[in-house]
Amino acid sequence: MIAEALKGKTILVTGSTGFLGKSIVEKCLRSVPEIARIHLAIRSSARRPASERLEREVLSSPAFRRLKEELGEDAFAKLAAQKLDVIEIDLGRDGLGLTDEARDQIRACDVVIHSAAAVEFDNPADLSAQTNLLGAARLVETLKASGARPHLVHVSTAFVGGMLRGVVREESPLDPGLNWRHEAQVLSSLRGPVEEESRKPEVLHRLRREATSRMGPAGTPAVARATERLRDRWVKDRLVERGRVHANSMGFSDIYSFTKAMAEHAVVELHGDIPLSIVRPSIIESALAEPFAGWLEGFRMAEPLILAFGRNILRDFSGLPDSLLDVIPADFVVNTVLAVAANPPPDAKPRVYHAASGSRNPLRFRRIVDEARTYFTEHPLRDRYGQAIGTPSWTYPTRQEMATRARTALRVVEAAQWFVERLPLGASIAEVSDDLNAERERLERGVNLIQLYGVYTEVDCIFDTRNVTALWETTPAAERKTFPFDPALYDWTHYFQDVHFPTVVRMSRAETAARRGQQPSGSTAPKAEASSVRSAIERRAGRGDVLAVFDVDGTLVETNVVEYFLWMRLRAQPLEEWPAFMVDILRKGPRWLYLERRSRAEFQRSFYREYDGLDPEVMKRLGREALDAVTLRRIYPAGMRRIREHKRAGHRVLLLTGALDVVVEPLAELLDVEVDCAHLLIKDGRLTGDLQSPPPAGEARSALLEEYAGRNGVVLAESFAYADSLSDLPMLELVGTPVAVNPDARLSQVAGQRGWRVERWRMAPGNWRLPMPDPRSPEYREAVRR
Amino acid sequence: MPRPGAVIEVDRNTPPVLFHFGEGIRLEKMPFGSRIVYPPDPLEPIAHPERAIKRALAKPLEDDPLKSLLRRGMKLTIAFDDLSLPLPPMAAPDVRQLVMEEVIDMAAEAGIDDLHIIAALGLHRRMTEDELRHIVGERIFSTFHPDRLYQHDGEDTENNVYIGKTAEGEEVTLNRRAAESDLVVYINLTLVPMDGGHKSMSTGLASFRSIRAHHNAKTLLASRSYMNPPDSALHHSCIRQGQIIEDTVRVFHIEMTVNNHAFPAIANFMQKRETDWTPQDQAMFLATKQMTDLAPAAFKRNVFHAMRAPYGLTSVQAGQVDAVHDKTLDAVRKQLTVTVEGQTDIVTLGVPYLGPYNVNSAMNPILVVCMGLGYLFNFYRNKPVLRKGGVLILTHPCRYEFDAVQHPSYIDYYDEVLADTTDPVEIEKKYEMRFAEDPWFRQLYRKSHAYHGIHPHYAWIWAAHAMDHAGDVIFVGADRDVVHRLGFKCATTLEDAFEMAEQTVGRYPTVTHLRMPPIMLCEVD
Repeated sequence: MIAEALKGKTILVTGSTGFLGKSIVEKCLRSVPEIARIHLAIRSSARRPASERLEREVLSSPAFRRLKEELGEDAFAKLAAQKLDVIEIDLGRDGLGLTDEARDQIRACDVVIHSAAAVEFDNPADLSAQTNLLGAARLVETLKASGARPHLVHVSTAFVGGMLRGVVREESPLDPGLNWRHEAQVLSSLRGPVEEESRKPEVLHRLRREATSRMGPAGTPAVARATERLRDRWVKDRLVERGRVHANSMGFSDIYSFTKAMAEHAVVELHGDIPLSIVRPSIIESALAEPFAGWLEGFRMAEPLILAFGRNILRDFSGLPDSLLDVIPADFVVNTVLAVAANPPPDAKPRVYHAASGSRNPLRFRRIVDEARTYFTEHPLRDRYGQAIGTPSWTYPTRQEMATRARTALRVVEAAQWFVERLPLGASIAEVSDDLNAERERLERGVNLIQLYGVYTEVDCIFDTRNVTALWETTPAAERKTFPFDPALYDWTHYFQDVHFPTVVRMSRAETAARRGQQPSGSTAPKAEASSVRSAIERRAGRGDVLAVFDVDGTLVETNVVEYFLWMRLRAQPLEEWPAFMVDILRKGPRWLYLERRSRAEFQRSFYREYDGLDPEVMKRLGREALDAVTLRRIYPAGMRRIREHKRAGHRVLLLTGALDVVVEPLAELLDVEVDCAHLLIKDGRLTGDLQSPPPAGEARSALLEEYAGRNGVVLAESFAYADSLSDLPMLELVGTPVAVNPDARLSQVAGQRGWRVERWRMAPGNWRLPMPDPRSPEYREAVRR
Repeated sequence: MPRPGAVIEVDRNTPPVLFHFGEGIRLEKMPFGSRIVYPPDPLEPIAHPERAIKRALAKPLEDDPLKSLLRRGMKLTIAFDDLSLPLPPMAAPDVRQLVMEEVIDMAAEAGIDDLHIIAALGLHRRMTEDELRHIVGERIFSTFHPDRLYQHDGEDTENNVYIGKTAEGEEVTLNRRAAESDLVVYINLTLVPMDGGHKSMSTGLASFRSIRAHHNAKTLLASRSYMNPPDSALHHSCIRQGQIIEDTVRVFHIEMTVNNHAFPAIANFMQKRETDWTPQDQAMFLATKQMTDLAPAAFKRNVFHAMRAPYGLTSVQAGQVDAVHDKTLDAVRKQLTVTVEGQTDIVTLGVPYLGPYNVNSAMNPILVVCMGLGYLFNFYRNKPVLRKGGVLILTHPCRYEFDAVQHPSYIDYYDEVLADTTDPVEIEKKYEMRFAEDPWFRQLYRKSHAYHGIHPHYAWIWAAHAMDHAGDVIFVGADRDVVHRLGFKCATTLEDAFEMAEQTVGRYPTVTHLRMPPIMLCEVD
């Protein structure tokens, strides 16, 4: 009867790039072969036009794999060309931005299935309002204006009643005394004021301070970008927050269900003589059988929870263990929608259908947890050692308690991170910082999950499904097999053990097998050290337009400008003057540390003042001596090897550093590579302590590099850069193969986020010496005498 | 009269014996029945070294007195051995300084202006100014450094000349200044029979091109041992090269020998046999042991490397190279030789903190092998104390520790080459030229104080004969990962090492402990 009713009909599906929309289109093509035409409402996105989106985002989806296999690729393409076409519809614009042709096409539709929605619970308020509420209203108005009278199937959500208790009937939602137009107006105009607020001096100051603390040394543009990112994030967070609070105050758990509820009001109010059916699915999860068991796209509600459970990340969870968690497989929703589409209401009164399982096949929260435990005990996820991960035992505390606990832990971790990042320990602290970062992410995820989904595990209501059941009863037995939509048809254990959990695990790409199903062989033979950088070098061997640029201090040599200065100055003064000099340096130390944290350039400027009045010739000689005494002793052998590999491969090698010429040039000369470093101004035969040009740190470094590349015909996208600190970020960002060498905590974070290669180079052990000459050496005594 | 060396059997009354253990020491109980070989006591030094030197220069062997060779306006070059000799460095004044001052005085008297002094360091590292000053003395250093007192540079293409090829096809190069001099005076200090003679010039003033003719795995495997020149392919090759050099330039050789008084009074217990230890020696041993067990590595290194040996000059001879060197070898053997009857299944050795290539730096794992399996193992004549297929047991902590300035190429050799293979022949095939021609190592050798890029390979092949001869090599108390990388075995205690060795040589093995240093030369029947 369903196929019969839809035979020869033309239908319009909105939201066809979404999970549900796609599933509906697929089911129609496969099970209603005699359908006349399916229009897919698709909006051209910034990146691709609507027609391309059909190909890339709909037809290439795994949902159509079954059809392609059954028909063959060619026949499928023919079918798609014959039955499907795209109508450009923009639900964000009044009148939907239709062309005349599109308007005609819409007029010819017999059924309109509106399944477009912004389904994330944590969308910004204005986006939810625009898409869910105004989108639906615009669609109805446009249909009415076009003069068409198709059967409108509005896909809503079972939670439009807010957090009700008891039985929720299949009827129009209770009117909470709200005007949907007013609500839409309020929510969509939120962005302006929030944007404005985000630009208030105190907010911008705070964001900029945060950005400086995170990215300071990377230079002004990087800080500016970080500030803007933070501001965007701030605006979004604020809008999400506003939406949530607004929804909560109206008695809804989140902005999604609130806007969907308002949309129902709008649709009911506006539909006029258009036949209207509303389908309210509860929580849609992976398909039970069609188009294949476990068809799911994108992570929806329960998946993150399930994975967090399987990974033992969520050690506890709030909720009422005996509450009904209303889950419904996607294909049952699709079938309900089609059954509803085939059965327009006989009168102008809208009909409501609950696509929910609660009344026919109730599922309790505890059942899911038990099923998950059974499943993950049998098919455990693996940690990075390939060991099975155990599952947690949840005690179901209250949501408040849970959230407080998680937030406290988060605060402790954040404080620890703040402290660690400020320690002047460079690379040695990076690992601790990485661990803290991972822990923070884990906690944040937990807090988020609790905030978003906690409420759904405390639902105490049953969705009445009388209308759906009635529909089911009128469905002829022959069609019940093709279009099953009665939740009593399946068993939850089967659904979770054989369909849903395997799907979730598969989609998460979590490691489930211990090393491809095999035990480790136990071989202790040394494994060849694979360096992806080295293979990149080999791939680009023999190319003169490839550059390898190296930072020096901390990347090639375990030193910094202060140590060189100490060594050279001590070397040039008699032993009895050392204490006074050291006291002076120690006194200035904290200030330099502070400046270094803010900006490398500021630090260098300030520090190089110490050179004021020194003799350049003497410093040059001392710099040469420091090569043997300091540089070569503290050098990283792996770094030297890497430079030689680049040179063997025919690449250009450049040392780009903020260190002074007197100490870097001898090294560059020895290595026979180019160098770009800091030079001090000389006046009347004395150093002035001023730099000849701005210190090559932060963005200045990237500018230098670009300029160098332009001058020498270097292809930066194929080049390599090696650096150790955040102040080198602009330089690393420029090249195709950035390598973080012994990264400090902040660079380590960035490198982790961007998937950059990280290498740890070490000094040959046993070579660390204080940066001071040996006062017993006759050489020193003679040098001082001179 | 100083006592000759001795071989004693360990019984109930034998005190535990000293094992050198890098920058540390251990006392070990040897199993009953095993034997301990002690070096001879130091010979009496010459009472008046200056007089002996004067006499040697005035009455050279098979050559004219030095004075008669010096003419006004001639080009004179003095070459001398670097700081790899003697070990430990000699307490000032170094005997080389005494000879050098004498030669310079004579040259001044003869009115010679064109005088250069070159440290003949071959492919060794350049010395620091302080080290150079220690060998030549303040007076010469301040007068001649840096223009006329400098160090040989084997990679300076300008200043090394090719002078010919031997009958065996070995190429010979020589320092340009030396080659173009009217007379070269070579001042050598021979501590062990390997040094001196033709080898002085043919390695000290040569370049990689000529040194590789005999510094290779094949030659070293055919040198049994290189501590006994008649049985040493290395020395035969050096002699052939040396003859070409003698044909090119007139060389006046001065060679000296010293006794084996290697340790100063403060470390007297290291010099003496355990049976002779006085209460003071016992106390000093205990104090040293406590210090080395507890002190940080850098501190221990400073203490040990500050030790200067109170060597006494035992002979000085000058003149034609072969005549001089024969006499030198006699003097050396007189000091070093101990007669040992028969080989044993196991030989134990303590590897000390110092070898020829780590003066003032850490002894890295490759140098430990060079010292233990190279030098110490090869101190024999006729045949090794260890039977073929026997087990060599060495004590050394063998840490992963490299001096970044002096041994940069050793780091790469360890990290890359030894990770690939430890077979000297195979390494030579695959890696010799890569290390020898590496531009970075070449720069460090020339401009800094680094050993030549190829040098770690030479250190490694120095042990080739021992690796070939021994059935197994066990390190006691060493870093396990390092010993594995080197291709040997590691034991926690000497007892464990003996148990492990029994797997190779069978139950109730015969054992010999060579109580070195002070060094000795085992003449094995």
